[in-house]
Amino acid sequence: MEREKILPPPLTKPPRGGTFVQDFKLLLKNQMRVAWNKFRYRPAGPLVGMLIILLFLGAIIVSIGSFAYDALKLMSPDIAQGALSFLFMICLAGQVFFGITAAFAALYMSDDLELLFVAPISLKVVFAVKSLSVFGSSLVAAVMFIFVPGIFLGLVFEAGAAFYFLVLLVGFGLSLIGMAVAELINLLVMRIVPPHRSREAVGFIGALGGILIALVFQIPNILISGEDELNIGGWLAGQDQALRIMDFFPWGWGSNALADGITGNFLSGLGWCLLIILMGAALFMISFALLERGFRRGFISLSQGAGGRRKKTTRSVVQRARRPQEKFSFSNNDGFSATASPLSGMWAVAKKDLLYLKRDTREWFGYLVPLIIMAFFVGQYFMFPAGSTRASLITVLFMYTVMFSGNMALQSFGREGESEWLLNSVPLGGWPVVWGKLLAAVLPTLLLMEALLVGTALAVGMSSSLTLVLALAAVLLSLGSSAVGLFYSINNSRYNPDSPQQRISPGASILMYLVNLFFIFLLSIGLVYLFPPAELVAVLQVFRPVTFERGLISTITYVLFILSRPLLWQASLRIMLGLIVTFGVWSVFFFGFLAGTVRQSRKGFRVEIVSGKKKSRGKKLSGIDG
Amino acid sequence: MENVLIQTIGLTKRYGTVPVVKSLNLEVRGGEIFGFLGPNGSGKTTTIKMLTGLLEPSEGEVFICGYDIRKQPMEAKAMTAYVPDQPRLYGKLSAREFLHLVAALYRVPKDIIQGRAEQLLDMFGLQDRADELLEGYSHGMRQKVVLASALIHQPRVILLDEPTVGLDPASARQLKDLLQEMARQGVAVFLSTHILEIAERMCHRVGILKEGVLIAEGSTEELRQKVGHGGESLEDIFLELTGSQENAELIESLGE
Repeated sequence: MEREKILPPPLTKPPRGGTFVQDFKLLLKNQMRVAWNKFRYRPAGPLVGMLIILLFLGAIIVSIGSFAYDALKLMSPDIAQGALSFLFMICLAGQVFFGITAAFAALYMSDDLELLFVAPISLKVVFAVKSLSVFGSSLVAAVMFIFVPGIFLGLVFEAGAAFYFLVLLVGFGLSLIGMAVAELINLLVMRIVPPHRSREAVGFIGALGGILIALVFQIPNILISGEDELNIGGWLAGQDQALRIMDFFPWGWGSNALADGITGNFLSGLGWCLLIILMGAALFMISFALLERGFRRGFISLSQGAGGRRKKTTRSVVQRARRPQEKFSFSNNDGFSATASPLSGMWAVAKKDLLYLKRDTREWFGYLVPLIIMAFFVGQYFMFPAGSTRASLITVLFMYTVMFSGNMALQSFGREGESEWLLNSVPLGGWPVVWGKLLAAVLPTLLLMEALLVGTALAVGMSSSLTLVLALAAVLLSLGSSAVGLFYSINNSRYNPDSPQQRISPGASILMYLVNLFFIFLLSIGLVYLFPPAELVAVLQVFRPVTFERGLISTITYVLFILSRPLLWQASLRIMLGLIVTFGVWSVFFFGFLAGTVRQSRKGFRVEIVSGKKKSRGKKLSGIDG
Repeated sequence: MENVLIQTIGLTKRYGTVPVVKSLNLEVRGGEIFGFLGPNGSGKTTTIKMLTGLLEPSEGEVFICGYDIRKQPMEAKAMTAYVPDQPRLYGKLSAREFLHLVAALYRVPKDIIQGRAEQLLDMFGLQDRADELLEGYSHGMRQKVVLASALIHQPRVILLDEPTVGLDPASARQLKDLLQEMARQGVAVFLSTHILEIAERMCHRVGILKEGVLIAEGSTEELRQKVGHGGESLEDIFLELTGSQENAELIESLGE
C-alpha cells in the first residue's frame, strides 16, 4: 500500500524546543506572508480605495504639518512645549482607544489562535507577535500627533540631527505605552464582561474612541469660534497650571524631551525618552505577566460563545422525544381557533426588533452618536452665543432628526441577517411586517429626537408655541424619513457576519440621504407658507416680477418666484396652502415609500450575505403571501 | 500503564458552577483507535480541548505520552496532533504554505519539510490546488489540509474532533484507512463522534459520554450486548447516537 511508504513513523521523543527569538521570527515571517498574500490577491477596486485613503491621510498629515509649522513659528519655546504636551496627550488617548479594538481583534478573534495554542510554542511568543499588529494600529496616530509636530518643531527651531532621534524615541515610547494600556484594558474587559457580551463591549469602547477623536478635531473650531481667529499660543499661555500638571505624565515627559532636544540638552532629552520607554516596557511586562489568564482564557471564552452560561439539562433529548404524547398532545375538542389580528403580528415584529435594540449594546451606540453631536452643538451655543447660532442650532437639529431617523430605519431589514427566512416565511408579509418594522424604528428614535428638540428649544429659551410646532415637526419628519429609510433597507440590506453592524450597501445609504434632503426641501416650502419668515416677506415685497425665459437659471428663478407668491397672499389662503403642501408632501413621501416597502415585503425581501470579498445574494423570494 | 499514550485522571471541567465534564478517567494505548461517543453537548469537545491543553481542567490531570499537559506542555504538544471540528485556517495562505508553517511550528527539520509536504499534498489529492489560497477551499478540502498538517510532524497521539463532518464518503474512507495505518504504526488515535455507526466502523474501542460522565467503555459489540442489561441510560444513548438516514452513505463507505 502506497500510504505505508509515505506515512513516517511516529516520534519517540519530542524534538528540542526553539528559543523565543526563533519562534518569534517564525511567526513574524508567517504574519508578513499573510499580509503580503492579502495585498497580492486583493482586487483592484479596494486597492484603488486604499490608495485614495492613503492620499487623503497624506493630505491631512500635510495640512496638519503646515498648520503645526505656522503655529509653532508664533510660539515661544515654553508655549511650544505646552502645545506638544497637549498633542501627545491626544495621541495617547487615540492610541489607547483604537488599540483596544485592534487588541481585541488580534488577541481574541484571530482565526489562527487555536492552531498556535496547540502548537509547541510559548504563549508569550504568540502574544508578542500579536502585539505587533496592535502596535501597528497606533502608528497613524503617532505620525499625526508626534512625528509631524516633532519634525516641524525641529525645523522651526533649526534643531540638529540628534533632536530627530529623540522624536523617534518619544514616538516609539508613547506608542508602546498606548499599546500596553490598550492590551491591559482589553484583559480587564475580558475579565469583567461576560464572554458573550465582550464583542459588544469592545465595539462600544472603540466607537467611543472614534467620537473622542472626532470631538478633539473640533477643538480648533471652538477656538476659532470663540476668538474669531485661531490662537493656540494665546490659549495655552493662560493654561499654566494645566501644563505644569502634564509634566507628571508620559505626554509631558515627551514634550520635555523635545524641549531639551531643541535647547541642545540631548542627554537630558534622552533621559526623558528612556523614562517613557521604561514605563511602556513596564506596562507591557505587566500585560505579559497577566496574559496567561487573560489572553488564552479570553480566546477560549469567546470561541465557546456563552461559556459559563450553560444550563443544566435534566432530561436527555431521547427522554423528551420518547414521550411526545405527554408533552405535545393536541386536543381536538377546541375546534378551529380564530385567526389572530394582524396587529399582534405587527407588534411581534416590532417587539423582536426592540428587544434586539435593548440587548445589543452596539445598537445603543447608534443612538449615542446624535446625542453626543447635539450636546456638542448645544454646548457650542452656550459657550459662544451669537445671533445666528440659534437658527443654525435648530437647522442642525432638524437635519439630524431626518438623517438619524432615516439611518435607523435603514438598519431595519438588514438586522434580520441570516434569519431573514423567518419574516419571509410567516404569513405576515406586507403591512404587518412593515408597520412592525416602522414602529420599532420610529419609537426609540422619536422619543429621543422629541426629547432633544423640546429640550433644546426650552434650553435656548424658545416660545411655547414654537416648541409645540417643533415637536409636531419632529413627529412628521421622523415618520417620513423612516418610511424612506425602510424602503431602501428592504431593497438594499446586507449582512456581514464579521461586521454585523454594517447592514446596508453604501450606495443605497447615500441615495437615501439625497432623497431625504429632497424631502426636507419640499417640506420646508409648506412650512414656510405656514410660518413665513418676516425678512423673506419684506424682501419679496420689493422684488420685481420675473418672467419665464428659456434656460436653466431662468427656469429655476421663475419656479422660485412662483413658489414665493403665496407668501404675499392673504393669511387664511396662505395657511391653507401651507397645510395642503406640508401634509401633501409628507403623505406622498410617507405613504408612497411605505407602500413600496409593503410591495417588496409581499414579494419577499433579501439580505445580501457579505463575507470577506465574497458576496452571495440571498434567495430572491417571490409569491410569498401574495 | 505500559504504552498508555493518553491518560486522564479525575478530569473535571466546570463552567462557573456547572460541571461539563465530571471526573473522567480514560486510558488510550498506542496502536488503538478510541472512539469518544456522545450526543451533542455531552462534553466531548471540552474533553478534547483539555487534552490538547487549550482548556485548563478545573480538576484532575492529563498525561500525553507520559508528559503532564500542565507541567510539560511543550513536550506533550510536540507529540500531539489536533484536528478541530471547524477547520479554521489562514485564508490568505496556500495549502503548501500552511503545511510549511505547521512543520516549522512543530520543529520538523528544514531538509525534510519540502519532501514531506509534497507527499502529503499528493496523498490527499491537493497537489493541483496547493498554491491557491485556502479561503477558496471547500469545507472538505480544508479538512484534508488540516489532516495533512496533523501528520506532517509524525505525531504519536492524534486527537480528532468530529472529523467526518463535511467529508464526502470517499474522503471518509480515506480517513479510516489513514487512521488504521497510523494505529498500526503505534499511534494512539482519539476520535470524537456523535454517530455510533461511525465509531463502530472506525474504532477498536469506544467510550460513551453522557452529560459529562463516562457511562460505558469497551468495544461497540460489548456495549451492544449490555443494552437491555445495562439500564435505561445506555439504551437511551444508543438511540440518540444511531446515525440518521443522511449519514447512511458515509457510514456505508466506511465498510466493516
